[in-house]
Amino acid sequence: MTGLRAGGFPEAAIRARAVHGEAAVFPPVDDYGRRVFGADPAARPADAVDRARLVPPVFVPMRLEKLIDLGREPLFADVDLTTEIGGFTAPLPAFLSAFGSTRLGSTTHAVAASRQAGRLGIPMVVGENVVPVNGYDRGADAADNVLLTRVRAYSADLPDGLGGVVVQQSTEDADAEVWNLVYSDPSVEPLLATGRLGFELKVGQGAKPGLGGMTVVDAAAADRLSDRYAVHDVFGGGRVLRSATPGTFTDEILRQQIRLMRNNFPRARVWVKLPPGRDVADAARVAWAAGADAVTVDGAEGGSGWAPTAFLDQVGLPLGECLRRIGTPDGCLLAGGRMWEGGRLVRTLALGARAVAVGRAALIAVDEDPEQGLCRLVSALALETAMLISALGKYTPAAVDRADLWAPELDPSPSAALPCPPTGSNEAVER
Amino acid sequence: MDANPEGHVPPELSAHLTSPTTRAALRVQQQVLIAARAFLGGEGFIELLPPVIGPVTDPGVRGSKQLDVDYYGHRYKLMTSGILYKQASLLAFDRIFYIAPNVRAEPPETCSTQRHLAEFHQIDVEIAGADSGSAQDIAQRLLQHVVRHVLDTVPDELHGLGRDFATFTDLLAGPFIHITHREAVTALHDIAHPQNPDAEIDWAGEELLSQKATAPFFVSDYPKGSRGFYDRESTTEPGVLRNFDLIAHGGFGELVSGSERENDYARIVTRMRETGENPTKYRWYLDMVRAGVPASAGFGMGLERLTRFLTGLDSVWQVNAYPKVPGLVAP
Repeated sequence: MTGLRAGGFPEAAIRARAVHGEAAVFPPVDDYGRRVFGADPAARPADAVDRARLVPPVFVPMRLEKLIDLGREPLFADVDLTTEIGGFTAPLPAFLSAFGSTRLGSTTHAVAASRQAGRLGIPMVVGENVVPVNGYDRGADAADNVLLTRVRAYSADLPDGLGGVVVQQSTEDADAEVWNLVYSDPSVEPLLATGRLGFELKVGQGAKPGLGGMTVVDAAAADRLSDRYAVHDVFGGGRVLRSATPGTFTDEILRQQIRLMRNNFPRARVWVKLPPGRDVADAARVAWAAGADAVTVDGAEGGSGWAPTAFLDQVGLPLGECLRRIGTPDGCLLAGGRMWEGGRLVRTLALGARAVAVGRAALIAVDEDPEQGLCRLVSALALETAMLISALGKYTPAAVDRADLWAPELDPSPSAALPCPPTGSNEAVER
Repeated sequence: MDANPEGHVPPELSAHLTSPTTRAALRVQQQVLIAARAFLGGEGFIELLPPVIGPVTDPGVRGSKQLDVDYYGHRYKLMTSGILYKQASLLAFDRIFYIAPNVRAEPPETCSTQRHLAEFHQIDVEIAGADSGSAQDIAQRLLQHVVRHVLDTVPDELHGLGRDFATFTDLLAGPFIHITHREAVTALHDIAHPQNPDAEIDWAGEELLSQKATAPFFVSDYPKGSRGFYDRESTTEPGVLRNFDLIAHGGFGELVSGSERENDYARIVTRMRETGENPTKYRWYLDMVRAGVPASAGFGMGLERLTRFLTGLDSVWQVNAYPKVPGLVAP
């Protein structure tokens, strides 16, 4: 543990899962037979996705299909969580999301999370700005190449046929030609050869929609980065705000950037990450129509990065509203924002997503245990997800749909009156 | 790395340079250069010597990587193509050409195409006030002139390399056939080749089309999203570029890539964004375009590809004195 803090996030519960794994899916086993349990009416979920309820039916025709298939009554262990995520195969409908270029996302935590994600076989997104900030030196200082270090850590124990690495690029990364560097790097070739390399066009992010990436750097780093980034001395004391641009997009710019990615990197999968903008449904449709293998929507609750407090609390659509606006997706839809446990995961699937991005929770888990924390968190997530899906009378994540959810706030009808609850308080990861 | 699975790997440099095949190919290439300069000079073109480095270069497509140079503390690029300078040159002369060295760290998947070198040369042509059709006309006549000159001047070299002169009969008779990118995609789909309609014709597809032809042919009107920001978009057919490739027959593939150019500042900035570029790094070019550069069209004809086509050799590295095949480390 390093003192990583995630205000507003259920940090204690995540740390418990990082230590106890599947056991933490249940109340303390020592209380078994001594206490009665039930819902806690005082607990007010933070957002509409969490306020929605999964509603298992009485009649379960898919369970009958499974019963016939198995020749016995199905159990939650019979749920096959294997999911195709944006061209990759994952053992459950979850992947490791980008951490951005904050100090936490760039160093030991990110490498530890990469190693465990590889062992699990879940896809991993490597964040924007890693190359322009940290460089891409393959020579004597190759150990300083965060991107390659993470790819190597991920690949070390990656099971055959599972997972994949997706490398983000934003406007500043385009200057550093991140995708070209990666695409022709011999050490990435094994992933490319097995169809397990993807590129993600970062259109925006959840934590600060409308702004580019932001980090705090020291004066020396600011000087070094000043030809590529705006730097502002807002803090004093030698610490400087480094800002990337948000990038300019229109529907045609998005469409053509995706087409160019497919043209230039035919062996790589193409992902697109959208901010929780009011036109998120239009943007997602453009992306799929242009050939994106996956579109990730980051709710305003999301983001492990550092952002002005006004953005953390007041800007962008919550995830539930993003998914409501998108409705039935035209392609593979991935969603991020406060993902760490099975209930929110399955509710997000019911709202149309194929899989969810785990970001902050993964950082907390590896902070708790750099060797096993994420593996345990994910095994707990898998068990919980399987139990919830089986309770719905279903046995694959793809079978979960809107009928499995009671969510008056997220009525698919566009005329529904939509309350606008707060998305939670300041949730930036701090240390 | 097994960079060249079909075994087409250059030998040691000394063995390569003393090979009779290399010598013959380089003698043919010398005549190509003589003929190209004579033809273009006769058409009123001025030969300029191209820049080697600059703060920015052609962003390129299909995953080729730029190589950096530390220039007094600034990150400069080796030229992947001279396109930005070709447009600038029209401020001096209406018709210019280079014999330009270019460096592109192509993705390793190109090492088996037999048609890619990381370091290569182009006969780079730019014409103020021209449209796509007149640039294609120059390209066709340039190719015909070069072929005729080579057949006349070094027939023994070609015979020695086993080249059948009948290969060039339809080329010399001209004119070349023109098809659109859309027609090329349809032709490939008709033979069950899975060509992406929004992208460049892939290497395998290009070879299939090339094998079927008996003379070089033009493919025009590529979709936006397959080429750089400087290829002009049609004003009457949005999404279609006013560009072209000239594909050699016999499986030799693309010899020429050309286009009308965007020269309007706002359109160029928008197209830069559509191709994922950050306009900030193109400052000198954008400042120049904002002040005004002539409308133009032009093309680049691959010198090594043209020489390979003339000699009929298996791989493009065989016609370069110091070949650098993508993905292979060589002197």
